[in-house]
Amino acid sequence: MPLLTFFINVFIPGRFTRSGFFAIASIAISLLCSLLVFIAMWNEPFIHVQTNWFTIGSWSLDVGILLNNLSVLMLPLVSGIALLVHIYSTKYMQGDPYLHRYWAYLGLFCFSMLGLVIADNLLLIYMCWELVGFSSYLLIGFWFTRNVAVQANKKAFIMNRLGDIGFLTGIMIMFSQFQTLDIISLFGEKGLVSHAIVSEGIWISGMHHMPAGWLTFAGLAFFLGAVAKSAQFPLHTWLPDAMEGPTSVSSLIHAATMVAAGVFLLARIYPLFNDTVLVLIAATGAFTAFMAGTIALTQNDIKRILAFSTISQLGFMILAMGVGASASSLFHLGTHAFFKCLLFLGAGAIIHEMVHLKEKTGLEYDPQDIRNMGGLRKYMPVTFITMAIGSLALIAIPLTSGYLSKDAILIESFEWAEGKGGWYRLVPYSAMITSWLTAFYISRLIFKVFFGEFRLKDTVGLHHVHEAAPAMKYVLVVLSLFCLFPVFSLNPLLFEDAWVIQGFPQADSMTRINAFHTVVPAAVNLISVFLIYLCFSWYGSNKPAPDFSKTGLFKFSQHQWFFDKAYNTVFVAGVLGFSRFLYWFDLVIVDGIVNLFGAIGRGFARISDWFDRNIIDGLVNLIGYLAGKLGKLIRNFQTGRLQQYLVTMLLIILTLFIYKYYTAAI
Amino acid sequence: MIPLAHFMLISAALFCIGLYAVLSKRNAIMMLIGIEFMLNAAILNFVAFGKYDKLHMGGQLFALFAIVLAAAAVAVSLAIILNVYTFYKNIDPTVIDQLRD
Amino acid sequence: MSLLSILIFLPLFAGLIIVVLPSSVREGYKYIALAAVIVQVLISAYIYLHFNGEVFTGIADQNKYQLVERLPWISLNLGAMGKLQIDYFLGLDGLSMPFMLLTSVVMLVALLASWEIKINLKGYFALFLLLDTAILGVFSALDFFLFYIFYELMLMPLYFLIGIWGGVRREYAAIKFFLYTLFGSVFMLLVIIGLYFSVTDPATGYHTFNMLSMMDAKNYVEGSIFSALAHNELFGVSARLLGFIVLFIAFAIKVPIVPLHTWLPDAHVEAPTPVSIILAGILLKVGGYGILRVCVSIFPEAAIQSAWWLGLIGIVSIIYGALNALAQTDLKRLVAYSSISHMGFVLLGIASITPEGISGAMMQMISHGFLSSMLFFLVGIIYTRVHDREIPHFRGLALIMPKFSAFIMIAFFASLGLPGFSAFIAEAFSLIGAFNSESINGLLPRWMAVCGTLGILLSACYFLWTLQRMFFGETRLFGGEKWKIQLTDVNAREVTALCILTAFALVLGIMPSLAFDKMNASVLELIRLVNLK
Repeated sequence: MPLLTFFINVFIPGRFTRSGFFAIASIAISLLCSLLVFIAMWNEPFIHVQTNWFTIGSWSLDVGILLNNLSVLMLPLVSGIALLVHIYSTKYMQGDPYLHRYWAYLGLFCFSMLGLVIADNLLLIYMCWELVGFSSYLLIGFWFTRNVAVQANKKAFIMNRLGDIGFLTGIMIMFSQFQTLDIISLFGEKGLVSHAIVSEGIWISGMHHMPAGWLTFAGLAFFLGAVAKSAQFPLHTWLPDAMEGPTSVSSLIHAATMVAAGVFLLARIYPLFNDTVLVLIAATGAFTAFMAGTIALTQNDIKRILAFSTISQLGFMILAMGVGASASSLFHLGTHAFFKCLLFLGAGAIIHEMVHLKEKTGLEYDPQDIRNMGGLRKYMPVTFITMAIGSLALIAIPLTSGYLSKDAILIESFEWAEGKGGWYRLVPYSAMITSWLTAFYISRLIFKVFFGEFRLKDTVGLHHVHEAAPAMKYVLVVLSLFCLFPVFSLNPLLFEDAWVIQGFPQADSMTRINAFHTVVPAAVNLISVFLIYLCFSWYGSNKPAPDFSKTGLFKFSQHQWFFDKAYNTVFVAGVLGFSRFLYWFDLVIVDGIVNLFGAIGRGFARISDWFDRNIIDGLVNLIGYLAGKLGKLIRNFQTGRLQQYLVTMLLIILTLFIYKYYTAAI
Repeated sequence: MIPLAHFMLISAALFCIGLYAVLSKRNAIMMLIGIEFMLNAAILNFVAFGKYDKLHMGGQLFALFAIVLAAAAVAVSLAIILNVYTFYKNIDPTVIDQLRD
Repeated sequence: MSLLSILIFLPLFAGLIIVVLPSSVREGYKYIALAAVIVQVLISAYIYLHFNGEVFTGIADQNKYQLVERLPWISLNLGAMGKLQIDYFLGLDGLSMPFMLLTSVVMLVALLASWEIKINLKGYFALFLLLDTAILGVFSALDFFLFYIFYELMLMPLYFLIGIWGGVRREYAAIKFFLYTLFGSVFMLLVIIGLYFSVTDPATGYHTFNMLSMMDAKNYVEGSIFSALAHNELFGVSARLLGFIVLFIAFAIKVPIVPLHTWLPDAHVEAPTPVSIILAGILLKVGGYGILRVCVSIFPEAAIQSAWWLGLIGIVSIIYGALNALAQTDLKRLVAYSSISHMGFVLLGIASITPEGISGAMMQMISHGFLSSMLFFLVGIIYTRVHDREIPHFRGLALIMPKFSAFIMIAFFASLGLPGFSAFIAEAFSLIGAFNSESINGLLPRWMAVCGTLGILLSACYFLWTLQRMFFGETRLFGGEKWKIQLTDVNAREVTALCILTAFALVLGIMPSLAFDKMNASVLELIRLVNLK
């Protein structure tokens, strides 16, 4: 059973990973197992192993692992990239005082990500889902002394939590309707979801039913989870901020794997979505892609550009999900993982050098700002070439993997829109525009960084800049190999031949029947090439580029469409204000009422106290007082003088006598 | 025959004199004498009323008994007074007021 | 003398020893208490291991309780009025057994936190152990009169523990706490007496305080006030509903619910650390346990009638508590309000009357018992170091107290429901149960569960914000260098206590079956009982 060994190995990274070697070794074993599993399982019937976890009521929750094409594809992808990033990190993170913590966090991340991929149960996926979010939280905030970093990780976690709420709501709906959370029995070919029917506004599955609105709501709820995790509009703002973490982390988590989890989830529960939700998914994807593309045009921080590019590409994937092209979506997920990881790691190598330079010269500048770079081509040739390949893949130039996957998405979205007509056409067109935007912003990045003159050369000697360390260099090379077409398809121009696409069932037969299959790639590529040239002429040479920074659109884009500001003022301030109000309410009104009762009670107490003291106690005291007075009076008789006693006695006897005498007389 | 009223008058006078002596004298001996006066007033009454009991002579007998008792009481009283004197060096009853509270 | 009685009276006995011992051995008190509590933990662990969840379903059947002990205690012959029958009646089922273990463990931790107590040790430890006895008694008593005695017995030591060893406003807090709880329990006494005159023991035919008899409609005297058949009305409300409401309010004050919660922030903040731990870790659970054991079991149809309101109160507590926590600047107050929020899930789960919901609520109580103890312990550590808890006064603590920060991160993340910790399972299933309710019994509308999820989001907000403000960033302290020296990292004793709690939270999170298996049958039995009506 390779499964068993695999499972054990998955757990290893989470524990006591104090040295990098151990972490690398364990992730390498994971990769090896994943590959074995992959070879054994690809295009085979799925394996589903379960064990009872716990029982509530008469319902018992079984958890286990589910290996089908989807998960075995993700396994080597995740563990492979994770391995490369691990190797890269040995150099990149060298000398950090909290290195062991870094490895432990990475291990936890790998564990939860792999768990997410193989989990067979929605609840288990949810657990891993949150763990992924948690480890990303830890890694973003790895440099916890940096205030921006901890704010970013808080933001990331809370935004992800918002998605989790959606996910959890989805789980609740699923459970309530189908009494199981098992993915196979829910979404399998004969699963409950496909058997459930909607009739007369009621969603019926066996004995259980609820209003049909909940079906849409369930889809939306899961989609909200995916939106948060895959950084789609409107919850995308955490991803750019998440770039505060180490670059290696950004590449692993925020480019290649974690953000893909949202797409993965959509793929897993795909049968659940009805048309309304799918349209919304497509629209969200298209809009996000377009928006992030425009923002990326004007950013100056190298990592932020890549972050927005990631958001944009994820938009493509979500879009593909929405239009029903789940296979293309996953294909793009795979290719994107490699080239985006490559770009990030390349950027990391550059930043690494820039930071070293900064330390050596003691100058104050931002090592991530592309305005400070330039002409690095001569000094870091390997980085340059690999990053160039990655960029070409991102632009989707033929012969790269990106071409295959992106074209698949574009073409299928065109076909989808053709089937629907009307406003739906906006979706593919915006996607196409976005891919041109992609060409522009990524070439701007490349040209600004690698071409022209080094912009700080007046103050810094360039001879300090040199190629990245071997560990980093070779990782880049390996990744760039994965960006080329043969890895995914032997035919460099036809995405239908890619084995990944063929691994998934397709709704319609993929024949090149209509014009889109030739027109779209051609249009995309021709204009892209033109844009690249334009970019080169603007940024590649030393001539000053045209300045747009005064225009309104530029500002709109540079401030990321003002989402952050809007969220901060509306939601964060709103919630905080509301909570303060509630606290005031609690303190003044609720507690006030309690204290009022207390005060009333005390008032009554005071009245009764007064009454007690003056009236009741007064009477008692009066008696006492009288007794005292009487005592004093009588005391006066006790003079100790014999004769006075005798007089008293005499008087008393006389009194008695007179009394007796007269009463007897009467 | 002397009428009963005379006896009564003398007896009352004797009693009052005794009472006065007891209440007003600043000397314990004089108070004792006052007490004797009152006793004798009583005895006189006994004797005077004894004529109505000729058969048993109860009045005379009680008078004798009272006399004997008075003698004993005087003896005791004198002893007390003597002791009081040795203790306080004084027999003025107004000074000896340790009975007070 | 069964094991259960030994368990209950062992602390009392140890407390008496402490009282009797001369004050020259002052330093020995805590070790006596520690020994007693450790034995107690061992006994409850033994009970746990020998508890068969399938057999001991409990609820309304005496034969299905574990370690039943029933001795006639007060048996007065009242002539024409029959016989006053009060039993010393103990037993454990799936509902109470987890709390015995919880109590023992939390007590151990609280005792470890008591090392910081410096004044009047004799009184402190004696009261502490008395409290221990009372709590264990409440969880195992099956005679309502005995239950009430233990319930009231809890108040007295707590009042003194807060009032003598507390913070600046301790008198205010102690009085507030005392009056609040007393307010509830006085009315509870009325209902108890009403129940007494309504219920007869089927065996003897006399009136009885036996809770199990109260759960069976057959045992009610015809035409008595709480008889289900008589439909008596008081003040225009059905008498049984009124009885339920009164009992509910009595326990809800303990839970606490909004708007009867204001004693909690004050009491928690002013109480010394160990007492905060006990308050949050166990006392709040007495409320939830009482609602399950007494309110729902004895007045099932009233519980169904008012389920909607219970759920609403739960939701309001969740969101209101969380938003209030967000506004706090005092760390301990924040934790206190987060308790309110988390206990809202308990109420929501109970209101759903589904197996998932009630199991989730039970789990939430257990998990919150461990986690809130941990949180208060951690707050207490800071407070004993520098006598300050204001969040803005601290910054970057992670640099100077790395181990402490690691623990607080565990506690925070576990509390906000990170998978792998018990709170996640608990909250997820409380919500799932609440959501499922509409499909199964139609008690709670689905939107309630959806609103409840907001609580999860908000808890992430306030905990993470606190983490960011207090622990991350460059170290900057209100008290300057002096504080930096005083803020030493956690020591071995504290690590022990924290590790115990972390372990429990983690184990229950990874293997929730450890708890679910034990209480599952009881929960089902309870639901069956409720649905009978």
